[in-house]
Amino acid sequence: MFARLLGESFARNPRRKVLTAAALVIGMAVATATLTIALEVGDRLAREFRSLGANLLVTPESDTLPVEIGGVDYRPVDEGAYLNEADLGKLKTIFWRHNILGFTPFLDVPASISETGAATTLIGTWYQHEVPVPDGTKFETGASATHPWWKVQGRWFTDGADECVVGASLAGKYPAAFALGKTIHVAQNGVSGGVRSLVVTGIISTGDAEDNAVLVPLAVAQEISGHPGKFRQLFVSALTKPADALAERGERAQTDKGIQLTPTEYDRWFCSPYISSIGFQIRTVLPGTEVHAIRRVAETEGRILTRVGTLLWIVTLAALGAAALAVAATSATTVLERRAEIGVMKALGASNALVSGIFLAEQVLLAIAGGAIGFFVGAGLARFLGESIFGTPAAPRLILFPVVLALAAIIAMAGSLVPLRRAAHFRPAVILRGE
Amino acid sequence: MFWRLVFQLLRGSRGRLAVAILAIVSGAAVISALLNLDLGVQNKLAQEFRTLGANIVISPASGAPAQISGAEVPSLMPERDVQAALQQLPSAQVAAAAPYLYIVARAQNIPVVVAGTWLDQAQKLDVTWKLEGNWIASRADDSHCLVGRNVARRLHLAVGNPLDLHYLDRSAQCSVTAIVDAGGTEDNQVFASLRAVQALANLPGQIGLAQLSVTGTTQVVADYAARLAAALPQYQVRPIRQVAEAEGALLGRIRLLIVSMVLLILILTALCVLGTMAALAMERRKDVGLMKSLGGSISRIVGIFLAEAGVLGAAGGLLGTILGAALSYWMGLRVFGTAIAPRWEVFPATIALMVLVTLTGAIPLRLLGNVKPADILRGE
Repeated sequence: MFARLLGESFARNPRRKVLTAAALVIGMAVATATLTIALEVGDRLAREFRSLGANLLVTPESDTLPVEIGGVDYRPVDEGAYLNEADLGKLKTIFWRHNILGFTPFLDVPASISETGAATTLIGTWYQHEVPVPDGTKFETGASATHPWWKVQGRWFTDGADECVVGASLAGKYPAAFALGKTIHVAQNGVSGGVRSLVVTGIISTGDAEDNAVLVPLAVAQEISGHPGKFRQLFVSALTKPADALAERGERAQTDKGIQLTPTEYDRWFCSPYISSIGFQIRTVLPGTEVHAIRRVAETEGRILTRVGTLLWIVTLAALGAAALAVAATSATTVLERRAEIGVMKALGASNALVSGIFLAEQVLLAIAGGAIGFFVGAGLARFLGESIFGTPAAPRLILFPVVLALAAIIAMAGSLVPLRRAAHFRPAVILRGE
Repeated sequence: MFWRLVFQLLRGSRGRLAVAILAIVSGAAVISALLNLDLGVQNKLAQEFRTLGANIVISPASGAPAQISGAEVPSLMPERDVQAALQQLPSAQVAAAAPYLYIVARAQNIPVVVAGTWLDQAQKLDVTWKLEGNWIASRADDSHCLVGRNVARRLHLAVGNPLDLHYLDRSAQCSVTAIVDAGGTEDNQVFASLRAVQALANLPGQIGLAQLSVTGTTQVVADYAARLAAALPQYQVRPIRQVAEAEGALLGRIRLLIVSMVLLILILTALCVLGTMAALAMERRKDVGLMKSLGGSISRIVGIFLAEAGVLGAAGGLLGTILGAALSYWMGLRVFGTAIAPRWEVFPATIALMVLVTLTGAIPLRLLGNVKPADILRGE
């Protein structure tokens, strides 16, 4: 009987049901799309933020203080500690290895260029260099990953070749000596002999100290300085999670013996991609180093990511609210529209429970159908939005499917409950008279 | 008569109207809150990118170090040149500016970089520093200094300790007021007042570079840098690019994300209100039949319903917009820590949108033109 009444109701007025279902589909599609995007966006934005460049700096745990002014190290080459280039592959073996998006070693050599006669800094680095990883694979990285805002006019040097890229200010000062294609002769400052000829392949503009220096492949700088296989600084670009209270405690526990993490806290800290835990893991594979977060970058990134995340959740909540509103309003309208029907049922002796049961069952059926269609429409929408905003489509989250269905059913029922409660007080005669 | 009919209608079916009003008010609230948020968010996020401190650096054209009295010092420029240029340009955009003079002095016979600066301004330029101890509040305070944490560790210094600095045959003493954790090269440096460092190095009135923090969008900063460069042709003026370069693209992405979600919600809310109004209009069929049979012209009848819908839309829209402004105010506090001020243009836009949507919802009424009153009154 119950099922027949239900079936009759669907068969008799399909147009009205289609309208209700349409509201459900649209509402749930928007809910699915916003939820999918909100779940996905943290990762995506964090990756986008890596266009800010490196956020970790690794230096030798030095016995001497670096004497660095304006990005130029004034220590003689034979003073201070160095790091081994051969160890760098180990960075891709740490727990959060997939979060290490790139790293670039730097070696500064005070040098003189015979064409200008002036002292200049040679900066040895990688642009795109293949690093052998202990697991047998290769990882290509360099300044292209850690310093994406560096702009080169001409082209970068080829890794390991006798080529160089000259800073824009320096090139502007000696336009004749540093024209593209010219050959320059460099030697370590204060050391006779060991002159090396390099071809200028590009002019670099960084907005920083490099504008006054000459960038050369790391191997060339190592040979000129007489420190093969060594470097002084390593910039690492890592995908991180914004710092929270645990991240700060974990960081302070590294230096301050007074703060102890409980084993569970430690595990959680170690297994979260905080900048401090990634720094700690880098230090374990590169012993004798100090790892600092480049706070200017890391803090901006963390702050903006947290803010955008909150913002997005608020917008998602608003979307859910709007979807709920749409579905609830439609459900309420459906019940109100069928007051006459309710009147007839009650006049024929249906109990309030039966009337409510029929209407609720109807709403739930509609909600499940509408929610299911809405989920797929929403997944498509999220895909499209992901594609147009981040360039890669957002993958549908199947976990959302039951969530959306349940949400649709609950909202549709909640929307019909209020008018149904009022319908319980209807006197059939009044309704049937049409008032 | 016309308005009496309108209000009679509004009073007539309260249950249905409650749903419609609820839909319109909450719809308008969501729309106006999100519009406010969307308009406010760009400024707020741009500010987030800006609170990083210094974004323009002025330095002598030649970066190569010069030999000054036996010690290597990067090339210098007179302090007053920079000050004169800064005074020429509008100062409202400049949040902070400080000159810096770097020298390599010796402390406990270890070479250490000493930076002389206006410490009151440097505080605003280096917002990300973490200090153990207190800032030096005055730029004229020559007897105190800040030390980087690596310097502190290497020289075994704690807050309150005296620090002796030697430069050639001169020396100076200061007491450490704070240990700086900057997460950068500043960790290897000592910070003291510009005057004290100039006296120590015997370089009165000379500075090595100047840093500025200019507020505004990337474009504003670039424009300011260009004007500064025009005023100081002999020096190098460069905007710090690292963050600025990424800012445009990132802001664009975030904005697009929010806008697309807001747009979805906007459509959804409009549809919801539209649906409710359409249902309300269909409900009125009976009234139309009655009015028609009493001799009302169809245009007048439709006019009455449009007026009803318009009143609903305007009233609901107004209420909702005010609610929405409060909502966006709260969201601003929650997300950015500062309130988002409601924008006046959101008010008419939301109300107009609501009236438009409710009137569109009344479109089914037009179909009533060819309705035969007898059919409706019979209940078909």
